[in-house]
Amino acid sequence: MANVAIEAGKTGPIGVPAALWRPFRGAWTEALALLGGVILWEVLGRVMAMPWLPPFSKIIAALIQFVQSGVILGNAATSLQGLAIGFSISLTVGLLVGALMGRYRRVEKALDVYVNALLISPSMIFAPIFFAIFGLSDAVRIAVIVMYSLFVIIMNTATAVRTVDPALVEMASSFGANERQIFLRILLPASLPLVFAGVRLGMGRAVKGMINGEMLIAMVGLGALAQRYGSQFEASKVFAIALVVLIIALVCNWVVQTAENRLTRWAD
Amino acid sequence: MIQVRGLSKEFLGRDGEGTGVLAIDSLDFEVRDNEFLTVIGPSGCGKTTLLRIIAGLIPFNDGEVSIDDVAVTGPGPDRAVVFQNFALMPWADVLTNVAFGLEIRGKPKAECEATAMRLVRLVGLEGFERRLPKELSGGMQQRVGLARALAVNPRILLMDEPFGALDEQTRRLLQEQLLRIWDRERKTVIFITHSMEEAVLLGDRVMLMTPRPGRVKEIIEVPLKRPRGQETEKSTTFTEIKEYLWENLRSMQVLDQRGEA
Repeated sequence: MANVAIEAGKTGPIGVPAALWRPFRGAWTEALALLGGVILWEVLGRVMAMPWLPPFSKIIAALIQFVQSGVILGNAATSLQGLAIGFSISLTVGLLVGALMGRYRRVEKALDVYVNALLISPSMIFAPIFFAIFGLSDAVRIAVIVMYSLFVIIMNTATAVRTVDPALVEMASSFGANERQIFLRILLPASLPLVFAGVRLGMGRAVKGMINGEMLIAMVGLGALAQRYGSQFEASKVFAIALVVLIIALVCNWVVQTAENRLTRWAD
Repeated sequence: MIQVRGLSKEFLGRDGEGTGVLAIDSLDFEVRDNEFLTVIGPSGCGKTTLLRIIAGLIPFNDGEVSIDDVAVTGPGPDRAVVFQNFALMPWADVLTNVAFGLEIRGKPKAECEATAMRLVRLVGLEGFERRLPKELSGGMQQRVGLARALAVNPRILLMDEPFGALDEQTRRLLQEQLLRIWDRERKTVIFITHSMEEAVLLGDRVMLMTPRPGRVKEIIEVPLKRPRGQETEKSTTFTEIKEYLWENLRSMQVLDQRGEA
């Protein structure tokens, strides 16, 4: 159907240019499910008239007002800055430590218990300690983001490197490859699919860490905004912020996914 | 010449010490230059372990392994291995896989590519240079493995049951191809196999090993003229040696089963 539309006049449904429409072709089920959810929300919101469930249109209205007043942009920028720094630290340290743990049995034995403990412990427990260390600075919320996202990246990277087919490492050794060459030419590419699974999980957790940190300790960015409107019980504004966070999470996920698709096409 | 003297290898227990398994017990043999030696024996006779020791991939406990009087202490440019399960990099195309050994050894990129192209042609994979391993059949994958080993122009080719994972027809075609290549670029070959036909068809000599611990039972000369092919398998000499191998292997299996009962 969409093909016919492209051929006839280079536009897709509802007059959208075909080129823009193409990525969404075949996403009809998802689109209908979303539309259904929005309609149900709108109807329930209007019928029930409960303060905690404003109709969807009110949330959109709140969002538009936020965007127009510039409140959202400024706060989102603050949040995203923390996210970028925190996640970069997690990514760098996570890949490095994970790779060392995966390659060297002794490093793994030494660190495994710590990484596991920190992975399963609720990250916010450490917030007061970060507060004591860094005081009233951006470092606190960045530390929370790192705390949320680092350990899952370490774990996945370590597993990825450890489970690389030993036959490939042996093959490289048989040609006289040194440790650096084995790392770059074999372990790195071979472990990418699993590493990316960890990076994607880490990204999701970093977004959670960003909001939690801002809501509970740092009082800046989108988290602080949500906290403020939450205490004033402005449900539609809280939902509007949640929507923005959701979009940020989706975009971040899309970025990681795109990089993953490019680098690990061979593993499909 | 490859010389193995009193070679023993013990695998340690799980805890890294104590009650190990003696995989190879005081092995003695030589492989002449440009000789094709096939090694056959029941599982547990340490034939793959032996190959990995000569490749310099694993250490050994006792004895000496030397190539032209130089002791083997690790992998070297004089040797290349063809692996049983191909060991191809699944993310890299055929050409990159074939060029791998050359790149590891720091050859300039242009040379790597030219050599790799020549070998891709030699093993008959022209037109598949940009394919990924998963897009190839098992036989084609092992031809990539063979081309990768030949690309570094080793004097010694170590082959670990290279055709063991392939079906009968593919295996035969690859045996013929290997013999043709070996005829042209003479190399010393140590070829591990569990197929009696393969051992006799390919080898100048067949080394028969016994299991638990791995020892050399006998080294059998194969006086069949080269080039060998389909006709070779019809000769009485071929059948006789094959039968002889089977008698020996069979008695080892029977002993083995009695031992385990």
